[in-house]
Amino acid sequence: MTDRPAQITLDQWESRYASLLQAGTIWPDYCGPLSHYVHEGDRRLTSLIFDNSPAAFRLWNFLLTEEDRLHRARAEGRRLVGAMKDLGTVPVMAFSLDNLVAFYPDGAWWIPCVMELGAGLLEIADQFGVDESFCPVRAMLGAFLTEAHFPIPDLLVCSAGAVCDDFSAIAQRLNGMGFPILWWEIPHRRRPEEDEKALELPGGRTAPEAQVLLVKAELQRVCSALEALAGQKIDDARLRAGIRKANSVRMQLKRLRDLAYGAKICPMPGLEMLIAEMLAIHFCSDRDETTAVLADLLSTAQARVQARLGFGEKDAVRIFWVNPVADLRVMNLLEQCGGRICGTEYLFTHALDLIPEDLDPMEALARTALADPMVGSSADRAERICRDIRHFRAEGVVISRIPGASHCALEGAIIGQTVQERLGLPVIEIEIPPLTDAMSPTIRTRLEALVETVRSQVCSVQRRDPEKIINKGKAIA
Amino acid sequence: MIYAGMDIGSRTIKAALFDTGSQTMIACKLRDQGVDQQGLTRDLYNHTLFESGLARSSVARSVATGYGRNAIEFADTTITEITCHAAGVRHLHPDVRTIVDIGGEDSKIIRLDDRGRVQDFAMNDRCAAGTGRFMEIVARLLEGDLTSVARAAELSVKPAAISSMCVVFAETEIIGLLASGTPIQDIMAGVQKSIASRIVGMVGKHAREPFYFTGGVALVPGMAQALSNMLGHEVKVSQSAQFTGALGAAIIASRQAA
Repeated sequence: MTDRPAQITLDQWESRYASLLQAGTIWPDYCGPLSHYVHEGDRRLTSLIFDNSPAAFRLWNFLLTEEDRLHRARAEGRRLVGAMKDLGTVPVMAFSLDNLVAFYPDGAWWIPCVMELGAGLLEIADQFGVDESFCPVRAMLGAFLTEAHFPIPDLLVCSAGAVCDDFSAIAQRLNGMGFPILWWEIPHRRRPEEDEKALELPGGRTAPEAQVLLVKAELQRVCSALEALAGQKIDDARLRAGIRKANSVRMQLKRLRDLAYGAKICPMPGLEMLIAEMLAIHFCSDRDETTAVLADLLSTAQARVQARLGFGEKDAVRIFWVNPVADLRVMNLLEQCGGRICGTEYLFTHALDLIPEDLDPMEALARTALADPMVGSSADRAERICRDIRHFRAEGVVISRIPGASHCALEGAIIGQTVQERLGLPVIEIEIPPLTDAMSPTIRTRLEALVETVRSQVCSVQRRDPEKIINKGKAIA
Repeated sequence: MIYAGMDIGSRTIKAALFDTGSQTMIACKLRDQGVDQQGLTRDLYNHTLFESGLARSSVARSVATGYGRNAIEFADTTITEITCHAAGVRHLHPDVRTIVDIGGEDSKIIRLDDRGRVQDFAMNDRCAAGTGRFMEIVARLLEGDLTSVARAAELSVKPAAISSMCVVFAETEIIGLLASGTPIQDIMAGVQKSIASRIVGMVGKHAREPFYFTGGVALVPGMAQALSNMLGHEVKVSQSAQFTGALGAAIIASRQAA
């Protein structure tokens, strides 16, 4: 099989894996044939198409071995921290301590997709009154009860306040079922009043100093609990080192995103990029290996861009994608419909922005937590999305709704309207449940229609110079 | 040159032939949908050609559109119904800015720019409310055919209030209304109003006049008026309202060949 970039099936990866091994490719110990995970129940893998690079193979293996890694950490005596709802702040603190491993129990929302409902997690949530009117994160309840996925953490930490209502209800249910949670408050971010001191947040927003101080105090409370669990103090130097390492991951992701979303020919498919971006949240339970996995992906993308090799049609429509998808297959589908991902907002842009290194480290984390797109207004979020659309020169926008997610019902319309008014770009909203098989034709129709709409609106000369599209949008606005 | 378009919808299949010389639709035919979509479409297509005195070889290119477009292997290519409806309505009504398309099992709003290109669209295909299917269910409950029940609704002076957005719950409401002696015409008028309100929600604030109405539901008496009342703008029923998708597909086939 050629080394040219290609998207291949699981079966094709089987033979490619064998031939790459034979050719002397060396992967870390945790890497093995992807079919192994299918035998363990991850049946969705048979419906996906994967990047054919060894770096992507490592990424998939890294993702799919997280549960093993957590069980091994537990067996080795390391303490486990489940960081819920907070996407990228508490793990930075936890990984600053030697014997703590943080993970993201909310990540269980992908289990119904990956296992094609085989694990029965949603049914368990149903039994506890958390039915399909809630976000698929409710699968997490089942994962806690069956203990068939991640080990029960030694400490569960969850943000409360300006978080989505359905998540809050699910976490409270979990707490009530005998899994005690250390709650910390994150207030709804507001604009500073004229007489208030405004502090800058990562990503360009501001917040009143009072809010930053409140979050800092809350994080200090979490920090104390982490210290007690670890039996070790997090001094400034230790936390600064943790922030630097987190920033190095964020910097890698920034480079990777700029390459993958900015290059003329797409060097890395949207599916692998989604998974890579998710590493920012909690490092897939291994911060150092995250760095190595991303370094591999980055050098693969760089080599492809230099060689002008990549995926998809030459005139693939540049799509900005809002919200993560519950069914991973949809990322493949976009490319099959003639689109490519050029910019994303998967609800955790604050985990991609650099944490300030020139501030008191706890305050820097507080500012980062307050930069979370979900703790501000939908208008704030829409504004950031518009900025990133311009940065990545996207031509169309897909807002994928998460079924049952309380925030999706309202914010989609606000984001869509803002993008249309400011940039004049076509926007579609689609709902993506954990398994889209039966809905695939209708999702395909919308994605294809979006691609057709962009192609018909913008002549080929303009499409070669995407800056003109944005200018056209400005004129409309 | 002759170009063909086939619109494989959820309830019916439509075929249209477009003559680039006269710039007109020279033939169109429709039949009910079934299991063998490819076979049914082929039969309809052949029948349309036969009745027009044309052979398959006289068609320069064909495009399939609609829900079942990907099942049609003999079409040269596929295009979504959004693009095709836009092309079809624009050809028949060059002034169109907003298309309301209500078909058997979905509804769409398509906004066009001054040059007739799709600017954006919204689509409901996950819920039967706001579709022709809803009206069919109601007509059956009211023990009439859709057209006659809808004609009766035109006489209504006090449309019933149907508060539920869900077809299943609306059905329960209608049974309740029947039990309380509400006249059939008021129930149907209430249903039309409910569908229209659903569509208005999809239109949003950016839609521009003139509005044209396509799809099978456009032919239901009183529906365009219900939409006009709810939108506060006149909604005109497009010419060949059931065939604009197929016509648009044929027109796009001609553009692709050019």
